[in-house]
Parts: sequence; structure tokens; C-alpha cells
Amino acid sequence: MISILVPALFSLALSLPPQDASPPSQSANTAQSSGAFDQLAQAAKQAREEDRDDSAIDSYRQALLLKPEWDEGLWYLGTLLYKKENYFEACTVLRRFLAQNPGNGYGWAMLGLSEFESHDYTRALNDLQQGITLGLGDNRTMIAHVRYVNAVLLTRSEHFDESMALLFTLLTDGADASSLVEPFGLAALRLPFLPSEIPPGRRELIHMAGEATMAIEARKYEDAEKIFSDLEAKYPDQPGVHFLIGAYLLSAHPDDGIREMKQEIEISPAHVPARLRLAEEYIKRQNLDQGISLARETVSIAPDEPLAHMVLGEGLIAKGDAAGGMRELEAARDASPDMVRVHWDLVRAYTAAGRVADADREKSEIERISKQDEAR
Amino acid sequence: MSLDGRPKGRPSFYPMTFARPTMLSVFPLVALLSMAVPAALSFPQQSFDEIAQRADSARTADRVTEAIALYRQAVQLRPSWSDGWLWLGDLLYDQNRFSEAQDSFTHLVAITPQPGPAWAMKALCEYEMRDYAHSLDDLETWMHGGLQGSEGLADVATFHRALLLTREGRFDRALHLLTERAQRRGESPLLVEAMGLASLRMPNLPGDYPPGLREEVWLAGKATFYLSVQELERGQDYSHRLLAEYGQQPQVHYIHGLLLEAQSKSDEALQDFHTELQIFPQNSEAMLEIAGIDIDNGKLDEATILARRAVQIDPANPEAHHVLGRVLLAAGQTKESAQELQSAARLAPDNAAIHLHLATAYQRLGRKEDAQQEMTTYFAIRKKKWPDRSESMKTRNTSHSPEAPQ
Repeated sequence: MISILVPALFSLALSLPPQDASPPSQSANTAQSSGAFDQLAQAAKQAREEDRDDSAIDSYRQALLLKPEWDEGLWYLGTLLYKKENYFEACTVLRRFLAQNPGNGYGWAMLGLSEFESHDYTRALNDLQQGITLGLGDNRTMIAHVRYVNAVLLTRSEHFDESMALLFTLLTDGADASSLVEPFGLAALRLPFLPSEIPPGRRELIHMAGEATMAIEARKYEDAEKIFSDLEAKYPDQPGVHFLIGAYLLSAHPDDGIREMKQEIEISPAHVPARLRLAEEYIKRQNLDQGISLARETVSIAPDEPLAHMVLGEGLIAKGDAAGGMRELEAARDASPDMVRVHWDLVRAYTAAGRVADADREKSEIERISKQDEAR
Repeated sequence: MSLDGRPKGRPSFYPMTFARPTMLSVFPLVALLSMAVPAALSFPQQSFDEIAQRADSARTADRVTEAIALYRQAVQLRPSWSDGWLWLGDLLYDQNRFSEAQDSFTHLVAITPQPGPAWAMKALCEYEMRDYAHSLDDLETWMHGGLQGSEGLADVATFHRALLLTREGRFDRALHLLTERAQRRGESPLLVEAMGLASLRMPNLPGDYPPGLREEVWLAGKATFYLSVQELERGQDYSHRLLAEYGQQPQVHYIHGLLLEAQSKSDEALQDFHTELQIFPQNSEAMLEIAGIDIDNGKLDEATILARRAVQIDPANPEAHHVLGRVLLAAGQTKESAQELQSAARLAPDNAAIHLHLATAYQRLGRKEDAQQEMTTYFAIRKKKWPDRSESMKTRNTSHSPEAPQ
């Protein structure tokens, strides 16, 4: 998808100034007072419009020496450098532009894309998200591209569920499905790689996982089950495969889902998500001893994992051990304060225990998180 | 702190000796100067005061662009104003304008005699500008100056030092620093990637290696991270996957062996270390692990051969001298043992275990005062590193332990 979109991006980025990128009138007036600057700015514009990129870059650079804070110059120089694949310098220039235009979502997105190409993935993710938060206008191609890169970076940073959610949105919004197969497959198998980082021997596996996940999203359950069946036959010992199938089956055919999760745990004994999904299922079925035991084991394997404490807490409360359950839920909350489900669990637990003030505090936290999410 | 561990928000890197600048500290000096200079020269002085005050006001009111412009004017008027360079650099760094921030910190370190936090900030800017050699040099200067600055700065700067040490091929030292970070701050994708590169002995920075190696780096990083925080079952899962996919690559059996050893499965670990040596005969770390297990099993001949080979391959590795010293001590070659342990102590003066073994060697040689001195050093290091723990607590037995060499 990247290779398909990039040419479109060049023309878009170059032909459309960002929301706030037009030069302020004061700086335009100042520019008029400077003959040398005027000439350079004019030459830069002409060269850019005539697609003489190197010449335009040179003129923009010179003009910016005379007027370092010239917004329009910084913007066009940054985007031209991106176009010329000089991503590192594009980052430097776009950061100067954004220092003066911090509310420009489009600018943050261009910076994030430049950082992505510079392999500065952590910053790229932050800045793309900043761009999305601030808004990217109505440039649909740009929006789709930014969301795509954001999704693959979320996968690379092991935020698989968030990535998956974003990919579903892209699919729903009509993005080219073939470009989403690998990102879906990687997120579904919880492999934190970019599509370009897929080892050659893994491509088929990841494709199959991606196709199956997209089939579920399209409610083509028979297709999905057929692919799952092939996947299981072809890769029975591959970590992540039984978890993926099990996660689907737990809603469609729970008994089969349990079997798949158990198989995953046999292959990867410390597979925390598989253990927790299975423990949850046991608790849901009121097999509380089994659920609690599995959750407790998971806590001992992954003591810093808030979800493990949450599931254990829920199990203990269901079993009637309110004090033990609240302790675990509090541990989950303290380790990860933004998990709404834990706060709801605590509201119910505190209310049942008559701890009204504590329950109110948890409700306030839920409101805080909702507002935070809305702001995003 | 942002996602990638950079300092965010208002500067927090001022140590007690590097006070947050205020106009209060500027005014008395200004008053004295303005009395001493001729009237004609006092005008720029007043102008500086005014600009500096406006810069501070703009900064405290979060008018960052204005503050930057004013600090720039102020330091042009008075290039010796260290607080101005500091704030200017800090504000630019916060905006990720690393080239300009680097320029400020370069001015600052030129007028600041002590290798304080500005050296670390300059180094971080150089890192971002891909001037890696200078960045590492400046981080070393900062480190030798006592790692001055806030905990946050120390954390970020030390992490970048570990990345650069990996790039330089100084993997053991890098892993030691990364292990400390893992134990202190927990998991992050960037830390896992850094640990993967260091543990596979790949002299690269995160994100800057052939994409086809990503899976191997990730699996090695996960296994090493969980080994560091002693979540051994999780580490084992990733190590198994690493072994299954990349079992013929260097370091892979070594990592697996370390995880087994940490679970007291010495026999299985030995098999892995030996396999590692078949794949990568120059792996001195695997030799040392085998030698360490051999000492426990009384197989001193093999241990001696391996430890000597390790010293030969990597003479600057204190752990090689340490293990050889231990082997020789166990074999009754006490004088030679003491020499090796002295070499180890010179290379890693903060490694408590080396001093303990050296004390034992001196004791056996009848050098009681030297033995006592080494015990004193041993206890001092332990107390400094683990003030709340019992002295009798056993030290960990992995090459990435807090005892690992400087």
C-alpha cells in the first residue's frame, strides 16, 4: 500500500498547503521588503511548480537562511525533501515548521511519515497519532495512508488490539483489501513486525491469518473456518495459530475454543493472552476453581501483567473472596490506570462492600478515561 | 517521559548543584556590573536584563516560540550566560529541534567547566543528529563526571549509551546497562529491540538493520528481557521459538543456555553452551559459562582450558579474568589466581564478587591485610548497590547480573 500511495502523497503534499501553513501576513510583508529573499522565494516557487525539485530545494534552503522562520518555505522544503527521499533532513525541517505551527495536524502527519521512513518508529507513531488527533482535513488519500502507517506501527510496538481495530476501520472505509492482508495477519498472530520485516518463510502463514481475520470481519464465517482449518493443518505447531483460532471459536463454538487455547498453551506454556482468555472462559462458565487456578498461575508467570491480576480479581470476587479479589483488581488498576473494565469491576466490588467513597472515586476515573478517549 | 523515553515537559535534569535559573540570581551581579562600567556601555547591559527577564516570563507562561527567540537574543548579548544557553537548549530539545539544541549545549559545555548534565543533553542531541561517535564520547565524559542530573536524564542518557555501546560492539557493557533498565522500568518495545541486538551481538541501532532479521532480534530481545527480570517461563517460550527458527545462528543456543542455567538446569544448559561453541567457536561468553559450571562440578581441567581461551579471545573482558582466577583458585594455583583476579578488579572495580574472590586468594597466600582490604571493598560495593538487602543474599549467576563488569 505504501508504494501505491506514495506518488499520490507527493502530489498532494506539494499541491496542497497544510491547514495553517500559509505564510502569516506579517511575514509576507517582511518578505516583500527583502529583495533578495523575494527573488529566492519566487525562484523556489517557480522551480517547484515546474517540478525542478533540486533547484527548488536549493532556493528554499537559501531563502530560509535569510528568513529562518518562513512557514511556507519550511513546509515546501520539508515536503520536497520527503519527495526526494531525504527523510532525515525532512524531519529536521518539518520539526522547525511544527515549532511554529503546533496545531497543524497535516504537518505532524508529514513528520510522522518522514520519521517512519527514517526508521525512527517510536517517534513516528507518536507524531502520526498527534496528526490524527489534530485532524488531517479532508484529504482522504492522506488520511488513509496515515492511518495505515499508524496501524502497522501499532503492531510493531505490540499494540496488537489497537492495530486490529484501526485496520477494521480502514477496511470498512473501503481501503484496498489486498494491502491490509499482511497487517491483519501480523496483528492477529501477534507478531510485531512491519510488513517489510516479514521473514520469507512466514509470508504464507501471515497471509492465511490475515485472510481469515478479514473473512470474519466480512462475516464470511465459512470462509474463515475453511482458512483456519488449512492453517491448523499446515502450521499445527506454530506459536499464535491456535490462539488466533481459539479466540474466534470462543465466541462461535466455545468448547472448540477451549480446546484451541489449551493447544496454544501446550506449544507456548507462558502464552499470557491464551491463558487469560481461557481463564476468562472458565470463570464465565462458573468453573471458578479452574479459572482462578489458571489466572493465579498466569500471575506467577507474568507478575507485572495487569490483565492477569484483573482476571484473577474477577474470578476471586465471583468465588466470594471479595478482599482477595479487590486486592488483585487494585493491583491491575495501579499498574494500568486506564483500563475501564477494571474500574467497573472495582465500582461493583466497592459498592457491594459498602465502600461508597471508593466506588465514587472509581466512577470519576471512568469519566476521566471517557473524556480522554473522546479528546483523542 | 514520552514513549521513547525522552525527557518531556519542563526540564527536570537540574541537580542540586545546577540550580534552576531565576532572575534573582542574575540581578545582584547585574547591579554590580552596571555600577562598574561606564554609562555608555551600560545600555546593552540593561537590554540584556530586560530580554532575559522577558525570556523567563515567556518560558514560564509556556510561550515557547517567543521564549526561544528571546533567549537567542539574550545569549547573543551575553554569550557567557549559561542559564540562557541551558534554557534555550532545553526548549529546542523539547521541540525535537536537535541540531539547534545541540548548538546551545555546545556553547554551554564550552563555558561550564564541570561535565554536568549539559554534556548528557548535548550527547542526546548528537545521537539524534546521527553523530554517534561524538555522542558516545560526550556520554562517557558525562559518566566520568559522576552521571550528574536528574534520575530521568540519567535514565535516558544511560539507555542511549547502551545503544551506542552496542553499535560499537561493546555488547557486554551494553547488556549490563539494558538489564538494569529492564529491572528498573520494565518492558518497552524499544528496550526489547535493544536487548535483542546486544544479545545477538549485532552492532546496530534499533530499526537500523536488515528487515529480514527483525524476527530474530525480537525473539532474542524478548528472551533476554524476561531473563533479566527473572520471568523465566516467559523467557523460555521466546527462547524456544528462537531456537526453532534460528538454531543455527550464533548466540541463540547461548541465550537458551542462560535461561536454563537461571532455572538451575545446568546439565541442559551445558549442552546448549557446547552447541553454541560448535556454531560459533569464538564465543568466549559460552566458554566462561561452561567453565563456571565446570568449577561447580570439579571439572577443573576443562574449565582451565576454556577460561584461558576466553582470556585470549577477549583480554579486556573482566569476567574472563574473573572466571580464570576462580578456576585457578579452585585448582590450588593461588598465586596465578590472584594475578588474574587483580586484572579483573582493575577492569571492573565495582564488581563485588571479584573482590570477594581476591580476598580469598590473598587469605590463602597469607596476605591478611590485603585480604581485609578486599573484604572492606566488597562490603562497601554491596552496601552501595543493595543498601536494603541482607549481606548474605546470594549474588546472581548470570553474565548480565548487576555484578557484571564496568
